[in-house]
Amino acid sequence: MTDQRTAGGVSTGTPPGGVRRIRLPQRLRNTELWLLLLASLINIGAILLVQFGTLGHVDTQVALLGVGLAVLAFGLHIAMRFVARDADPFLLPVATVLNGLGIAMIYRIDIADNEAGWESASVRQIVWSAIAIAAAIATILLIRNHRVLFRYTYLSGLVAIVLLLLPLVPGIGREESGARVWIGIGDIATFQPGEIAKIALAVFFAGYLVRNRDSLSMVGKTFLGMRFPRARDLGPLLVVWALSMAVIVFQRDLGTALLYFGLFLVMLYVATSRLSWVVLGLGLFVAGALVASQTLDYVGNRFANWLDPFNPERFDQDFGGSYQLVQGMFGLANGGLIGTGWGQGRPDITPVPQSDYIIASLGEELGLAGIFAILALYVLFVARGFRIGFAGQDDFGKLLGVGLAFVIALQVFIVVGGVTRVIPLTGLTTPFLAAGGSSLVANWIIVALLLRLSDTVRNHPRLVIEG
Amino acid sequence: MSELTLLVLQLGFLLLLWVFVFAIVYALRSDLFGQRVRKLQPDASAAAPVAASVFPTAGTSPGAPTAAASHPAAPASGPGGETASTENATRLVITSGQKSGAEFPLGRDEITIGRSSDSAIIIRDDYTSTHHARLMLWNGRWMIQDLDSTNGTFLNGSRVTVPTPIPLGATVKVGATTFELRR
Repeated sequence: MTDQRTAGGVSTGTPPGGVRRIRLPQRLRNTELWLLLLASLINIGAILLVQFGTLGHVDTQVALLGVGLAVLAFGLHIAMRFVARDADPFLLPVATVLNGLGIAMIYRIDIADNEAGWESASVRQIVWSAIAIAAAIATILLIRNHRVLFRYTYLSGLVAIVLLLLPLVPGIGREESGARVWIGIGDIATFQPGEIAKIALAVFFAGYLVRNRDSLSMVGKTFLGMRFPRARDLGPLLVVWALSMAVIVFQRDLGTALLYFGLFLVMLYVATSRLSWVVLGLGLFVAGALVASQTLDYVGNRFANWLDPFNPERFDQDFGGSYQLVQGMFGLANGGLIGTGWGQGRPDITPVPQSDYIIASLGEELGLAGIFAILALYVLFVARGFRIGFAGQDDFGKLLGVGLAFVIALQVFIVVGGVTRVIPLTGLTTPFLAAGGSSLVANWIIVALLLRLSDTVRNHPRLVIEG
Repeated sequence: MSELTLLVLQLGFLLLLWVFVFAIVYALRSDLFGQRVRKLQPDASAAAPVAASVFPTAGTSPGAPTAAASHPAAPASGPGGETASTENATRLVITSGQKSGAEFPLGRDEITIGRSSDSAIIIRDDYTSTHHARLMLWNGRWMIQDLDSTNGTFLNGSRVTVPTPIPLGATVKVGATTFELRR
């Protein structure tokens, strides 16, 4: 470290008090700037290649929209130069590339579907990206210290439940492709409140576990080498489990339920380091899912499609069949190692290729090499998040960092696992990539929170002793 | 657009994507939270004269060329204890109190101790003042300074009134917490 060498040289001659490490100004931010430039190059390159591949010429008007995303990302970068100068330099470029690849693929499918202008998903996606990044800037400007969130532990728990229940309210709730997870006023502005709820839930779990983890981890009977909790401590686990099951039953959304429950289990495990909680929780969830698969039609369908997708009967079924799953896999197979090239494949054959199935679309056109690059970016993003949580000093910050990073990881796993037939397919959005405003806003807010956490990690005390 | 051009462009794009991934991995290599990475060689050159002077007298600081005449404190180092310097002390270990056993890496920054949340070591108990004490570097050696705290800071049982060098392994007491500097 050049800065430490400078300080080392200075320290011999200066009096005490003058011995301070000279911080090289904005070193992290400069790293981020270079990565962001590379990210913008990739994003604009992707849009240009889509135009070469589909139209055969360059349409500057749309390419300019790609530049728009770059401008927004630089806006967040500049904001961080002022209010979060020690924040992690990798999160923003990674999120920008993922968002840009998503926009390029959505644009490519719009061209295949002959959609343009404000009706097209790609233009809407760019507008939503603008709103999402603006929300991230607002978050990083407003929340100057993540400990503020600790005060609102129970309020965020309440907010999460209200957001979850909103789609069930008659009048504003909307049902799309079987799942009742949308709200909207009139025909415009549909929004998936569950996406925002995952942030509120992470804040709530972190705050709740910091307050109560002692009773959760210390007491209980030991059985088979694991310490199992007392019945009265099981309360929160059962409440969250019941909530997840309610989501499955009333909103018909298996993926979201799995996401929330997985988030809770991991945070419980991190807080108490008791494997018994995970065993208990997974047991409960598997039991619940099995019962649901027997009693609820749509869950049973998902399981059947997962186990036997190539059965012609299932493939030809009009509704709830395995057509989408199989088409997605055909697409991935068509992509091969290096993909067909932007605009050269047929991802538009698969139903909803721009949202739930964007991973299959990208896999077809970018191939295994591209998919692995995208997954590597997710790995880097999540690893940075865990690292931020790991390096945090206060327990709330630690748990929040781990929780937010894990929620992204789990969501990617559920979506990619579903598309590639590792687990039953469930409808969730791929973070940053998939078309959908609520998901973008939520994930960019997560980026902002992780950036804020990483900034305080570097700036703030490294040891707290509570008397 | 010929097929070949598109293929070349596709390969170029994938290459760019992977260049981006490896650019991040490369940058990560050197930036795993910079503050904690310590390099020993600049320390060695900076603290060499100090070490040379401290070594023969084993812990007593005066008489050496680097210990200036304006040295603020009489040597309070324990018998046989070598003064903790940037060269020989690497960590601060909490020996009693709530977080007994916790460690804190010693870098080249001064370490503030107190209740206030801007301290490096925050101790929140009934005996600690807002800005209680600080550990600072004087010619590469660690000194403890009491910041006019109500209940005082103790080094090996005696109250610290002026900035005092800390011997390695000596017990420093702040409120209900004690710690020592170790190799």
